[in-house]
Amino acid sequence: MNLKRKNRLLVKISILVAVLLVTVLVFTGCIRGMTPIGWSGVTISDSTLYAGSKEGRLVSVNLAASPQMISFAEPLRAAPTGGIGCASSGGGGACGGAPPAVAIYGTPVISENLVYLAGYNGKIFAYNANNLQQRWVFPVEGNLAPIVSGIAVAEDTLYFGGTDGKVYALDTESPERRWEFTTGGEIWATPVVSNGTVFVSSFDKKVYALDAATGDLKWEFATEATNVATPLVADGIVYVGSLDRNIYALNENDGSLVWSFSGGNWFWSQPVIHNGIVFAPCLDSWVYGLDARTGERRIEYNVEGQVSSSPVVVNDQLIVATRNGRLLSLSTSPASPGQLLIANIVDEVTAPLGVSNDVVYVNAPDNNIYAYNVATGARFSPISLGSQ
Amino acid sequence: MNVWDIVILQPMINILIVLSNFLFNNFGLTIIALTIIIRFILLPLTNRQLRATKALSTLQPKMQELQKKYGKDKQKLAQEQMQLYKTSGINPVGCAVPMLIQFPIWIALYQAIILSLAVSPEALLNLSRYFYSWATPFVELPLNNYFLGLNLAAPNVIIALLVGTTMWIQQKMVNPQNQDPRMAQQSMLMLWMMPIMFTFFSFSFPSGLALYWVISNIFSIAAQYYVTGWGGLSFGGGGPKDRESARDKKLKKRLYVEGAKRDESDGKTDSKEDSK
Repeated sequence: MNLKRKNRLLVKISILVAVLLVTVLVFTGCIRGMTPIGWSGVTISDSTLYAGSKEGRLVSVNLAASPQMISFAEPLRAAPTGGIGCASSGGGGACGGAPPAVAIYGTPVISENLVYLAGYNGKIFAYNANNLQQRWVFPVEGNLAPIVSGIAVAEDTLYFGGTDGKVYALDTESPERRWEFTTGGEIWATPVVSNGTVFVSSFDKKVYALDAATGDLKWEFATEATNVATPLVADGIVYVGSLDRNIYALNENDGSLVWSFSGGNWFWSQPVIHNGIVFAPCLDSWVYGLDARTGERRIEYNVEGQVSSSPVVVNDQLIVATRNGRLLSLSTSPASPGQLLIANIVDEVTAPLGVSNDVVYVNAPDNNIYAYNVATGARFSPISLGSQ
Repeated sequence: MNVWDIVILQPMINILIVLSNFLFNNFGLTIIALTIIIRFILLPLTNRQLRATKALSTLQPKMQELQKKYGKDKQKLAQEQMQLYKTSGINPVGCAVPMLIQFPIWIALYQAIILSLAVSPEALLNLSRYFYSWATPFVELPLNNYFLGLNLAAPNVIIALLVGTTMWIQQKMVNPQNQDPRMAQQSMLMLWMMPIMFTFFSFSFPSGLALYWVISNIFSIAAQYYVTGWGGLSFGGGGPKDRESARDKKLKKRLYVEGAKRDESDGKTDSKEDSK
């Protein structure tokens, strides 16, 4: 082979290597988790299940009907965005430019025959619970910043937090904005309303207590890192986990610290309380059972997988789902601890669990809902939330 | 986590986050700092690669001479080419090995930046898998993604164009002047194709990643200039003004002497053949 042909071949090889390099870089850069997908939980009311699907729409399932009747609301529309690939931030997208689906992170909430849903496209939707027709949308024009928080409804007011750092209070019917409160960082946690006070945690390393009617600040508590967990309020104490690896118990009235407990990783999900014990799942693969009044460790379980989804209690059993797809039943009694594997689910579970009549529902990332009767051990056929 | 995650990616992510703690929790500064640190660590390999590339281009005139002289006798030509490589001590694939060694480190830094940017809620959650038990990574996240008015988690047109521009400059410096016209045509394709492709992808990826590419390209430009000068980017009237190291001068002298000996030997052989 003469020199010129050899050199031409070398250049062609170089071009091929360059294309290969760029392709490898693109696909190794398309790392899992870059695209917003959503982790909406399920809500059950009057034998009807409501959930946000991975297609970016509200879905209802009539559990009492046989066969089950599934209804779909109109898909949420993505907000305008400049990105065309992995960095699309306007409500969804996929590497390679697949059709966008708006991620839904908050669990639907039902009140007075309306279902409320928050979308990552920065809009709040209200649907008629019977036929999923849209009743109203907020804001009517334009979009807020992406919403990761869920919705809380108390009396005739709807509360949610935005990644713009604001807590919003809307009238549930109109939806007129009643007030808004600005924090110093994004809000991913769902607000919790108790005794006329809205409790919410923020990325600005603070937990806030706001007057539910006016939005006035009642107190704030500083943690050492960002907060994403939804608080739990019970018996005058606010329990909230933080990314500083602590879970805090705060006095509901003045925000003073009652106790704190340190884990090995972030406290991401909302804890649950049962028989005087606060069960706090942690991303260090442990579930801690802490005395609600003192914070003393009463029981703990190594569940061999990070827990980011909020657990539920069914018949004195704590049902927990891990990010490696394990669904477990843990005894809530320190006197007789024990754990039982209920199922291995196809994919990691991040969405909060739902429960109704001893049946636990898991909204999995594969766009199916898995249901298990904890009392009898029965497994139900997965419910597909796909519209096709 | 797999072996790649544990051995390469996890340390890289933790270093990024801890470094951010020392750089005012500014991820932009962190990307710049870590890119420069890693490029400095890999500098010996980079220099070796650049010198090998430059040495190959130094041989071009000699190669062309051999082509003219032995073009019809392929066997003789191949022998002379191999002899030339041997004499000059240059390995024709010498530039590839350093690049292959550096490649996984670039990929790791690239992935670490993407992961640490946490462009989605799932991405922030996924980061929790990579932390060591030090307190710093837990409390530092999420990182401050704003740098000089840029949202590093979102694409940016200006920085995407900077990626293409710096890459073009680097490619131009590598491309030698005075090439064979056909070679020049193919080099031109290479000169434009990579920058355009990277610019296009920079429009799609977070600008934090594009920032990494810009800094990396600027470093490469500086390293290239140190070894070869402006190379193909020279704006002078004549050829490029190379910065010659002592090693390069020695190589040139040896090539000249060998060439002269070969010419003398060929001259004697030709006259013998003529006399026959």
